[in-house]
Amino acid sequence: MKRAELWIGLVLVAGVVGLALVSFVWTPFNPTGVGSAPRLLPPGWPHVLGTDHMGIDTFSRLLVGARSALYVGIIAVGIAALVGVPLGILAAWLPRWGAEGMMRAVDVAYAFPALLLAILLAGVFGASTETAMVAIGIATIPAFIRVTRAGALAVLASDYVLAARASGTPVPAIAVRHVLPNIANLVGVQASVSFAMAILAEAALSYLGLGTPPTVPSWGRMLGDAQTYLFSHPGQAVWPGLAIAGAVLGFNLVGDGLRDFLDPKLQEVS
Amino acid sequence: MAKPAPLNATARRPRRIIGVLVAAVALVLAACTGPGMSPTAPTEPAASASQPGAAAKTLVIGATAEPATLDPTATDAAAGTQALLYNVFETLVRIDPEGRLAPLLAQAWDVSEDRLTYTFRLNTAARFSDGTPVDADAVAANIERIQQGTTAPKLKTAMSVVASTEVVDPATINITLTRPSVTWLYDMAGAAGIVMNPAGFATANSETAGSGPLTLDRWLPGDSIVLQKNSNYWGTPARFDEVTFRYFKDPNAMNASMLSGQLDIISNLQAPETLAQFSDTSRFTVIEGSTDGEVTLSINNGAASEGVTPGTGHEALADVRVRRAITMAIDRQALLDTVWFGKGTLIGSMTVPTDVWYEDLTGTHPYNPDEARRLLAEAGHPQLTLRLQPAALPYASKAAQFVASQLAAVGITAQVEELQFPARWVDTVLQKADYDLSIVAHVEPRDVVTFANPGYYWRYDNPAVQEAVARADAGTLTEYEAEMRTAARLIAEDAAAVWLFALPNLVVTKTGITGVPANANSSLAFDVTTIAKA
Repeated sequence: MKRAELWIGLVLVAGVVGLALVSFVWTPFNPTGVGSAPRLLPPGWPHVLGTDHMGIDTFSRLLVGARSALYVGIIAVGIAALVGVPLGILAAWLPRWGAEGMMRAVDVAYAFPALLLAILLAGVFGASTETAMVAIGIATIPAFIRVTRAGALAVLASDYVLAARASGTPVPAIAVRHVLPNIANLVGVQASVSFAMAILAEAALSYLGLGTPPTVPSWGRMLGDAQTYLFSHPGQAVWPGLAIAGAVLGFNLVGDGLRDFLDPKLQEVS
Repeated sequence: MAKPAPLNATARRPRRIIGVLVAAVALVLAACTGPGMSPTAPTEPAASASQPGAAAKTLVIGATAEPATLDPTATDAAAGTQALLYNVFETLVRIDPEGRLAPLLAQAWDVSEDRLTYTFRLNTAARFSDGTPVDADAVAANIERIQQGTTAPKLKTAMSVVASTEVVDPATINITLTRPSVTWLYDMAGAAGIVMNPAGFATANSETAGSGPLTLDRWLPGDSIVLQKNSNYWGTPARFDEVTFRYFKDPNAMNASMLSGQLDIISNLQAPETLAQFSDTSRFTVIEGSTDGEVTLSINNGAASEGVTPGTGHEALADVRVRRAITMAIDRQALLDTVWFGKGTLIGSMTVPTDVWYEDLTGTHPYNPDEARRLLAEAGHPQLTLRLQPAALPYASKAAQFVASQLAAVGITAQVEELQFPARWVDTVLQKADYDLSIVAHVEPRDVVTFANPGYYWRYDNPAVQEAVARADAGTLTEYEAEMRTAARLIAEDAAAVWLFALPNLVVTKTGITGVPANANSSLAFDVTTIAKA
């Protein structure tokens, strides 16, 4: 059962990655070729999923849209992990009062919605894919700090860390050699869950016109464009909607599956 | 936005999966669940109209822009003007459906030889809603209020040419200007010329004291403005006992209300692709007219004249050949078909068919990508990279996508960045002129005059245009029209911008409603006095 979840997730994730990779070498039609086909065609041949309101092949846009989703996910999670993990280890290392102060600050940041931050940044720096990635990344940092600190506290209390400290190993070396390998599974699971959130956030921002620019295909923007055609051409919203739902579900299932897979205690129970 | 749950919550895993699914599906569904949407289709059309011997005749109008105040002179926004001008408030002169000036509170007016003094003879029958006569003193008080009171800057500018007013007798007023100005007379037909009852000045924000055929019954902010018949009206009485303007933020919600029979009229449909919903001619009539909204691909012409902070546009755009090439690179008919469902009018300059001086200039620089490439090569820019910063509005965003694709075909790379509208667009483009190309609709009437202002964000400095506009303002009505036509032609030849299309006025009415003006004229009013319901 648990394995099935992981496998379904892996298949969905592989599907999204596959779409993005294929888009680099091949798309059936030009994904930005405005007016190259009749508008709002239903699914058929040669336009497998039909065309959108600008006369662009929907399948081609869906392929390239996977790139935007992954691109934002990778950078946003990268920012969050690169900043969040060192800070989390630091928080575990700090004396009690320092750690408490830091974690309260993290709580405050955690309460701040990613979408609101993105709207703020888009207002100041202009709406772009980069702004969206940075905003989502910053908003995800607190989650990484919490997870890392929780894991690092347990590792730091272990006998081998005590031994390393007693033998005079410098703090950064302990962090890299002992703490990081032991919390890698926690961080990996958090990363895949955050990845799903980042894809959803990018879609939401593009839907609101605060993410990727109109010339770059994006699932969220496709959904936003489809809104005006909901009554006349309801099919328009289906494909980007399915793509977003599939990608988000995939990364979440992978996250859950990985946790079970990497946690020996859970395996014994099941 | 849901947040990822902390990792130690192993026991809650199934719930989280459901949570994520709900979040994902919610995003998909966000589009379908607009407020006030009714999934049921009406079984009987026009229920309210078919009531036998209905006591009150009512008219319900769907609109999008809700006014923030009931005083149309308090803000530059056109929302208050739409519902109240000519319906509740009247002016000395009005703009008729053909776009010409016509008498309203003034029966007649004369201009002195030097065109500095206007003499208005008021209709002595005119009464405010409380029964007091509309006299020359009231007109003078209103002009003074616009000049001295806390009124919109645009109206103050319009009224700044008035040097003095002289009350000759209760039915005659002389208004003297500092310089001859035809524009002023046109402005007097809009919000600037509203003659309010001076007794109501203090409460103008929340009550209305006009002389029109309707008076305010109640205002429900966020929902509607309800007007009732003014039984003391001095002219032809209103045909309706009650007229309601209902405001919708979401076009889908407004369409659904219309489909379910709750509205008699959609004053201006905002999404032309939804017109198909009203194709049942036994229930609905669709009227396609024009508006004053020119959707413009603005070009930073790069002029830096005295007293104007230099904008930071691409220097290639100062070359008329490059600007002509950009115009020729865009197939405007195809753009209109794609972006606005073919609804709207192609225009070739900053003038729309309802302007009396309108001239069809769409052929000035026709679509010709080969010639565009040749002009770019001749200007030394066979490859060019430009910023394209449209306002983040549906029509502008779609148009930008289309324009970028067509510019690419002639060797111009357009880097598209949407600017949040209005705040960020106004700051970056309108005020700082820090742009190369932008897209927005210009809805002000007679706005060809903006090309005579080198400080405006076009950064366009052409003495010939400035002189034509100055001569137009100072001339007679006939000269005004001729000079405005000249200005429009000059900027078209100079390719000072690309006029993509004029927004259509798409009105949907229930069958049996007549007299709705097809065009939204330059007064910006939605005049219900001509409307009748069978």
